[in-house]
Amino acid sequence: MAAQRKRLNTATLVLLPFWAVVLAAYVGTMLWTVQISFTASKLLPVDEYVGFAQYERLFGSTRWSVSMQNAVIFGVLFIGGALVLGFLLAVVLDQRVRFENTLRTVFLYPYAMSFIVTGLIWQWLMNPGLGIQKAVRDWGFTSFDFAWAVDRDMAIYALVLAGLWQASGLVMALMLAGLRGVDEEIWKASRIDGIPAWRVYLFVIVPMLRPLIVTAVVLLAISVVKAFDLVVALTNGGPGISSDMPAKFVMDNLFTRQNIGLATAAATVMLITVAAVLVPWIYTEYFRKARVGGTA
Amino acid sequence: MARKVTTGRKIGTTIFAWFVGLVIFFPILWTFLTSFKTELQAISIPPVFVGFDWTLENYRTIQTQSNYFHFMANSIYLSLGSTALGLIFAIPAAWAMAFSPTRRTKDVLLWMLSTKMLPAVGVLIPIYLLFVRFGLLDSRLGLIVVLFLINLPILVWMLYTYFKEIPGEILEAARMDGASLSKEITQVLAPMAVPGIASTVLLNVILSWNEAFWTLNLTTSNAAPLTAFIASFSSPQGNFYAKLSAASMLAIAPILIVGWFSQKQLVRGLTFGAVK
Repeated sequence: MAAQRKRLNTATLVLLPFWAVVLAAYVGTMLWTVQISFTASKLLPVDEYVGFAQYERLFGSTRWSVSMQNAVIFGVLFIGGALVLGFLLAVVLDQRVRFENTLRTVFLYPYAMSFIVTGLIWQWLMNPGLGIQKAVRDWGFTSFDFAWAVDRDMAIYALVLAGLWQASGLVMALMLAGLRGVDEEIWKASRIDGIPAWRVYLFVIVPMLRPLIVTAVVLLAISVVKAFDLVVALTNGGPGISSDMPAKFVMDNLFTRQNIGLATAAATVMLITVAAVLVPWIYTEYFRKARVGGTA
Repeated sequence: MARKVTTGRKIGTTIFAWFVGLVIFFPILWTFLTSFKTELQAISIPPVFVGFDWTLENYRTIQTQSNYFHFMANSIYLSLGSTALGLIFAIPAAWAMAFSPTRRTKDVLLWMLSTKMLPAVGVLIPIYLLFVRFGLLDSRLGLIVVLFLINLPILVWMLYTYFKEIPGEILEAARMDGASLSKEITQVLAPMAVPGIASTVLLNVILSWNEAFWTLNLTTSNAAPLTAFIASFSSPQGNFYAKLSAASMLAIAPILIVGWFSQKQLVRGLTFGAVK
């Protein structure tokens, strides 16, 4: 018993530096952000409190509402698309394809590359004068339109496409691992019952893969939050403000417009939005799993 | 196990899968090919695939004109530095969580991982102000600390999933035989933990290597790594596509090559340990 207590103390002790770092770095900086957002700070933070004035300005700004809309469009299409594409790729790869390991690595390569490189490559592929559009038009399909990155209405979808290219392989790798774990008996039983394969996938396999799907959504959500890099490299928020994202809004107000108060207000809204949507969801997912006794 | 399929169907799906693989790989391949073209050939219409005069000119230009190795050195320095610093904190933490779990260990892990999903801009301003105050802007030390902080949750999580697989009985046996805590760690735990630590390191190096948000915002030239270098090519009017391709290749080549030789670790790392 005494030994047990000593162990526990050692464990707590080892965790102390870690806790100190985490609390100071994460919680401390977030609270600081919130504090600045209630001040009239311009170039440097000041202590002149103005209540919710910065938030009123923020929600009155067209650019901010466009950014938020784009974030939602990107998030929904990117996560949904990557899940569907990744799952389909995994189903194909699960049919005992030759050189599967090599192929799996090829599918994963884009994810190992930074969003910056991804953005640049796609900026080029979607360049109206040089890229895919030009090549396909020269082959005779003159109405082919792929210059999405410079098209006001399509720029946000250009971001989605590049994101899908980057992340689908990741979902594929996760789902493939799940499909490998599916019991052969399920396929035998469904064959005997004459159930078509697509129905088995949709109604039996997908529910079984739920924990992996949760993991995939978490990883994709992290990418959505990080999408700043992709925006900067691919469209830089343009044309105009058509593909602006909240992170870019914050950066511009911080660095080029010297408007720290507004930038922190926007950052605070982002923090609260993400926390409000994701945290309860993750917790229920994991607690549900803990109750049924599954593992990741 | 996968379901049984006929040979004909297998050939069909193999061809299809490889076709999709080629489509996905095409942008990387195209960048690779373009990096060996002249600027004129790079924008020639119709595009040429392999029938051009291969040249190393772009790589030479990049090395001489843009001080490529300075950025490269920074990338190596930052990714290895932040990983080393991270391990110092993460190994004891993950060890404690895996072998002396308390009631709240799982919650703590989840809470930590959830910070990863919060937008980085939420803490950028305070960190930027701190950097200004302490003169850390554009310093490698400052960036190492930031990269260490943002990747710490992932390091702990990854190491935790690996440490969980080490049977606790072995540690107990060592304890029974009178091994001290330091002996327990260095002689019993470490040898079993090395593979896990290796792929955690691989993941963390890749993440730090690719990190653009913080490196773009907190550096200008002195401490700027490859991501900043590549981003500097991204002006819309920039027509130096061959050079840009060469620069991109130089930036991703280490990852592609290391990834190829450690495919298993890469898959496990990138999926946060979910794929064994």
